[in-house]
Amino acid sequence: MEYEKCYVFEPDATRPAKRRKTEPQGLQASWRLRREGYRAAWAGPQARIEHALSSVHDESLDEVTRFLDEQVTPANGIESTRIPTGIVLTGPGGSSRGSLANRVADRLRSQPRRIYVPLDSTVTPNLKAALKRFIQRATSSTQGEDEDDEDAVATTRKGRRLLNYDLQILADYVRERKIEQVVLALHDTEAIASDVLSELVELLGSWRSRIPFVLLINVATSVDFLQQRLSRGAVQSLDGRLFDAVPSSTEVHQVFLALTDPNTKLWIGPGLLASALERQSDFISSADGVVEMAQYAYMSHFYANALSIFLAPEVKLKDVPSDHFDALRNLKSFWGYAKYLIDSDRVEAPERVRGLLDDNAQLFKEVQRCITEGQAALHRITETLHVIRTAQELLPGGTATLKTSLYIQALSGKLAGSTLIRSMLLSARKAPSDVVARLIDAVRVAMASIEDEPASNAAAEVQVFQNELIQLTASSKRGAKQQTLRSEDDIGSSTVRTTVVAQKVQLSKQKSELSKQDAAYTILVRKFTDVLEAYFSATLVDVQKLPFHEIFLFDLKSPHRETFTPRPRHAIERALVTPHDYLGCECCAPDKGQGDEATLSATQPATAVLYQLYLESGSLINVSDLWQAFQAVMSEKKKDEEQLMALFQRGVAEMRYLGFVKSTRKKADHIAKVAWKGL
Amino acid sequence: MRLSALAAQLQRLLRGIEKYMLVFDGIDRQREPPPTLLPALARLGEHVPGLTTVLIVNYPGPRFLHAAGIPHIQFPPYSRNQSIHILSREPLDIFTGDFPAELDYDDETHAEDKSWLWPRFCAAVFDSLGQSCARDYSSFRSVCHKLWPTFVSPIRKGDFGTRDFSRLLVAQRKLFQEESVLLDSILSPPTSVTTARRAQAYNLPYYAKYILIAAYLCSSNPARLDQLYFSQTSERKRRKKGGGTARSGGGKPSQQRKLPRHLLAPSAFPLDRLLAVLHTILPHDVRSTIDMYAQVATLASLRLLVRAGGFGGGDPLEAGGKGKVGPAVSWDFVKGLAGSLEFALADYLAE
Repeated sequence: MEYEKCYVFEPDATRPAKRRKTEPQGLQASWRLRREGYRAAWAGPQARIEHALSSVHDESLDEVTRFLDEQVTPANGIESTRIPTGIVLTGPGGSSRGSLANRVADRLRSQPRRIYVPLDSTVTPNLKAALKRFIQRATSSTQGEDEDDEDAVATTRKGRRLLNYDLQILADYVRERKIEQVVLALHDTEAIASDVLSELVELLGSWRSRIPFVLLINVATSVDFLQQRLSRGAVQSLDGRLFDAVPSSTEVHQVFLALTDPNTKLWIGPGLLASALERQSDFISSADGVVEMAQYAYMSHFYANALSIFLAPEVKLKDVPSDHFDALRNLKSFWGYAKYLIDSDRVEAPERVRGLLDDNAQLFKEVQRCITEGQAALHRITETLHVIRTAQELLPGGTATLKTSLYIQALSGKLAGSTLIRSMLLSARKAPSDVVARLIDAVRVAMASIEDEPASNAAAEVQVFQNELIQLTASSKRGAKQQTLRSEDDIGSSTVRTTVVAQKVQLSKQKSELSKQDAAYTILVRKFTDVLEAYFSATLVDVQKLPFHEIFLFDLKSPHRETFTPRPRHAIERALVTPHDYLGCECCAPDKGQGDEATLSATQPATAVLYQLYLESGSLINVSDLWQAFQAVMSEKKKDEEQLMALFQRGVAEMRYLGFVKSTRKKADHIAKVAWKGL
Repeated sequence: MRLSALAAQLQRLLRGIEKYMLVFDGIDRQREPPPTLLPALARLGEHVPGLTTVLIVNYPGPRFLHAAGIPHIQFPPYSRNQSIHILSREPLDIFTGDFPAELDYDDETHAEDKSWLWPRFCAAVFDSLGQSCARDYSSFRSVCHKLWPTFVSPIRKGDFGTRDFSRLLVAQRKLFQEESVLLDSILSPPTSVTTARRAQAYNLPYYAKYILIAAYLCSSNPARLDQLYFSQTSERKRRKKGGGTARSGGGKPSQQRKLPRHLLAPSAFPLDRLLAVLHTILPHDVRSTIDMYAQVATLASLRLLVRAGGFGGGDPLEAGGKGKVGPAVSWDFVKGLAGSLEFALADYLAE
């Protein structure tokens, strides 16, 4: 075939003997339905996330647009000689969705008298290119013309011929159309070369009297850094105002709230969320990673897990193939549920379990019920977290734990009865009556807003306490001054008494005198915390024990990890060290006695052999020595030197292509080692 | 090429005109001028009869016209009196907006007062700051304009009268002692006292900080000492501090004066060295995933890491490529990073 430059591929007319499976079979048969389910389930969170991310910037967006509006009509009629500049601190890797600059552009686009031109580092390799691009985009932005590079020289109405990087073109354009403002947005200021940036700013500064420029600069590192990079003239011609973009942690929080909305079909598990948040803070610091994680979790759940069919909207019994019910009966949580039913002493329990095992219709109904209940339970947990945070904020010296970390703890079943809750309740017991009054009120409000049974029951009880407390504090008025009631558990109300008996110091605690109201108050607070505790233990259930939680809770870390954080370097190194793992051939299989130890053998690919020799050598490799070693290894199998030499050369070329070696001028006949293993 | 065309065109245009002047202002501040441009412009008059060229330049270099005997006029910088005189011709307003009601005041007296106060203020600024730091007219003017609103604020408040110059000067003497007004900033000075000073820098992600510290260590430590500082087995050597090594014994100062390393320019290092150092300074093991390489690329786009020759093109992740820390990554910056991570930077830095 090599002698032909090209050829026509003519496939054999006959189909291969083995028929391809074009129709999905078994559990795969339901994938169309599941795809519909995915679309329905993801539509909600997607819309919520987009809305949250776009509204998170509203405040800073208003600030920036107000600043731009102010510049249109200069203050007290005097045009400043300096360019008004909005400096937006975005931080490294700001979110690409709904970013501030794009939204500013959207707002300005509706105004015909203002021009918005974004520039980034890819189009500004030098001043000429930057100006060319700037003028081109500015003059075409309101006309909506196609960009054409052909016209190198523009002709103005006066008949003068101007070079296409001459700002006079823009000045004429501004005058003709009575443009009030030209906003130039520089997205990645750090990546633009310092001299280009300085010259651009100086030049725009000198045209400021003819063209009403406003600069909008994104800064990812710091203002000082930007100022150091600019020339003195450029610094003098800028008149900056600082704006903060919303930190990415706020964005992430908004995304999290959108993902835990009450209508959520599929909930993200604690492990997955924890790893995504960790990755976010360790590496990227933008909310995009978390959004990607969520979408990928939805996709992998609906596309790979056949049981997700039960999450599809309005799924009917006849839509579900029967093998799905068999799969359902094999779930761990179903076994646990069946066992729990059998163990309960109810009379109808065995009948019911039998029914679930035999009758698909009954199981279908049960699954539907359990899923709804499970989703409701998860929602209850997030509501409870809100109550916990409200209480934490009000208690003395308490700072609210992040909602995400509470969620992770709660869903992994560690929150109920944790030290966090216990210490919170203890400090509530010690608190004086004014704090507790506020606490009771806040908790009652938070609980009353939740529409479900345990919360409304608890809210009713808390209501009773609130009334009692109001009566108590009213009766404790001593004279004109309202005094706060103290609890018996408060450390301040007990004193430590020291007595010396036979030269030994004895410490004894003594409760100070408490009034009748105080005693009543103590009982009340204790009852209140008991109710809270009961409420927490009722709602903070262990989600791993919910029946069929595999269907509505997704907590697999590895699909996300393998997809979003691959290890390219490690993969190549490993493949070259142990080619057998990938080829699966018999000839290279390691001997029984040697275990996993990688061994050199002639049957391995030439590049793999060379790589293992490469690992043993120093930073400079003598090619002749390498060839000798290679020959020694390979000669077991192939004796022909010409063939071996060809293999060797190809192997070395591949190593160079992969970036392991490079030629060096330090020593003749040597190649330099470039990459070390395991980095 | 173009200049000969210009000369020819000028010859054509100026035929019959007795005298014509061509003035080039600020011609020495051209962007990328060809080396022959200025001499050619200066000699245009030799080719075109009746043409005189005038070049206005700020800083004439020696022999920049490649010719001797050029007739020239030097304009010396303005003297103190001249500067103040020019600037006093356009006084700024004492009161902005409406005049305070308790003063019986109108526009005429305001104009009179400000033309009395402003020259005195300008003279005071020139004597305190301008003489040594802002002698040219434009910077003197900008300093005066910056200081004026603060200077007259007691008058606006009603603490002093408009003619109480000497008392005002004593009360506001801090203004003339501080030098911060001479420094330019891209941020305009805050018009009012803002509540909290905004952070002017952004927090980097966790691993980005460690990568920068590792890069700084690679840039400032010589590669031959890596084994000493980063090898797991030489723990004891590194901890030994102040005990003195064989070379530093005795009281005799070394023949070669050694500069502290953090004052030297950063040196280039290969990417693999950075990764190796990173793995040793991290307090825990880390899977080196694509995220780590993406972080290096991000830092490169922020110019915190820059390319410094070596193998491969502009790609910061090319195997065998060399990089170094950017100019913004100074000793203080890295010290701040290490402080926020509670990382003992001094233990790893070669002296």
